Amino acid sequence: MPPSAVSRRLQSPGLAWIATFLAWLAAAPVSAELPVEATGRVLTLPAPTSHWAFAADPLLRRSALVDLDSGKMLGMVSGGFGPVMPLLAPSRRELLVSETHYSRGSRGQRTDVLTIYDASTLGPVGEVVLPPKRAVSAVPSNHSALSDDERLAAVFNLTPATSISVVDAVERRLAGEIPTPGCSLLYPVSGRRFAMLCLDGAMLVLGFDERGAEISRVRSEPFFDPQTDPIIEKGARLGDRWLFPSFEGRLVEVDLSGGAPVFPEPWSLFEEADRADDWRVGGTQPVAIHPESGRLFLLVHQGGVDTHKEPGTEIWVYDLAERERVQRIEVASGGLTFMGFPIEPPQSWIWPFGGLARSLIGAIGSGLGADEIHVTRGDEALLVSGSSFTGGLALYDAVSGRFLRQVYTGNMTNFGILVPFGDAP
Amino acid sequence: MARIDEWFASLTRGVARRTSRRGFLAGLGAALLGGGALPLLPIARASAQAKESAPGEPARDTPVGDPEGCDYWRYCAIDGFLASCCGGTHTACPPGTQMSPITWLGTCRNPEDGKEYVISYNDCCGKDVCGNCFCRRHEGEKPLYFTHKNNDIDWCMGTSSIIYNSTVAVVVGVSTKKG
Repeated sequence: MPPSAVSRRLQSPGLAWIATFLAWLAAAPVSAELPVEATGRVLTLPAPTSHWAFAADPLLRRSALVDLDSGKMLGMVSGGFGPVMPLLAPSRRELLVSETHYSRGSRGQRTDVLTIYDASTLGPVGEVVLPPKRAVSAVPSNHSALSDDERLAAVFNLTPATSISVVDAVERRLAGEIPTPGCSLLYPVSGRRFAMLCLDGAMLVLGFDERGAEISRVRSEPFFDPQTDPIIEKGARLGDRWLFPSFEGRLVEVDLSGGAPVFPEPWSLFEEADRADDWRVGGTQPVAIHPESGRLFLLVHQGGVDTHKEPGTEIWVYDLAERERVQRIEVASGGLTFMGFPIEPPQSWIWPFGGLARSLIGAIGSGLGADEIHVTRGDEALLVSGSSFTGGLALYDAVSGRFLRQVYTGNMTNFGILVPFGDAP
Repeated sequence: MARIDEWFASLTRGVARRTSRRGFLAGLGAALLGGGALPLLPIARASAQAKESAPGEPARDTPVGDPEGCDYWRYCAIDGFLASCCGGTHTACPPGTQMSPITWLGTCRNPEDGKEYVISYNDCCGKDVCGNCFCRRHEGEKPLYFTHKNNDIDWCMGTSSIIYNSTVAVVVGVSTKKG
């Protein structure tokens, strides 16, 4: 029978119904079982959003990548000893991670390496072996940096002599090691330059050509007194400016838009009444900036001298242009975790036990306070706070300050959070 | 229900605000667990057995004299795991580790004689992190650019491995001034 004849016959309603029924009968046994699936599938990442975050866990030796919108883990980067903090090179879709490995786990031959990961597959695609000198600290911020053109990576070394290793990330080769006596950490600014903070309160600014050769070196006069009122080295970048709160609550700014650093007059983050109430800056990353709104977020607590690393109980928001506080946000609980698992009462718990348990867990989480804060870029920005005693993060609307939700990173401890598009200029 | 929850939450938050984190954890642990599970918490290292105090040291059964607790006077600028809880003592590293010869220095007041002592916080290195008795105190501690006064840095330098295990607190002299 020609196909056209079949088609014509099925146009009859009765025959079409019978044909459908027979087809259903034939298909029914198959649909009762799942189809056979292929093994070996591995996902790649979707396009990144401004609400992605890396959270480092030095115990698990990895940095987890989390989508703050969905609350889901997207993947991770494993990086050897210490907190793992990637550098992001979006133009090449690469992540660069400075890592330390030993041939026998915790002993044997030490190898420091800058590993280059594909930002879509999270798989390693290259590496540059570094001098085995890189500094490892509990807080990884500003221990490595990428030039604004994403060409050069620099890694801070401490033996305890200070130096930096410079890597041409495009040609994937070590350009050299440069001594930086008395100066530490790396603060990138435009023009393939890296600034460093020095023991005497000065700033060193190094400039490089595109192959990583040093072409300029400017050392400023001291701009703060590290004995009487040190600046907290965990600063925030705004274009070619870096802003650092000091122990005593001044905001110290460095403007690197010109050839030599300029230091505008610092201003006080606290009113007299705040100081009388013992409000202080504290935490492992106590400052964040949302450039689009010109707002600065500051982690504060009530305490005496030497509490510069105490966790914050509130986040104060400042209008940078007006130099005034515009908002106070109470630190919310990021949730509690055990071995990376959230601690939450089952939904089935009846009143009042579920509510009380949630209140207690929330109160413990709030009592831990926040060790670090970050803010995402762009519209609908998220303020993120985290404590190193939990794998959870608290999210807030960065404009209204309203607490939104908790996100779990899968980490046992969060020690260093990177909001990929939030910490850049 | 919501009002009860809110009242309870605000009460506990208020308590949390008025106390330090370690104090908060200690109080919470005591209230919740009657002290039974306190060894899980970083502050809960009161020595179980009475020991003789060393000459010139505060009594072992007081917080400032207990080398297995964060409040021990020598730990005024420590940030890490106490070697004394990890198989070592407050002046000796656990077996199989190496003591770093390069270190950071604090200045702590001995309540027994009222003198300020220079304390060397040498890290014990070459084995993975201990996990017992995590303490963070920051008296006189400085940011990382002030390297020898900073306690964030892994000071396992000059050892065969930079892998950090724990920390000791060795008296290396009497200070003439604080800071």
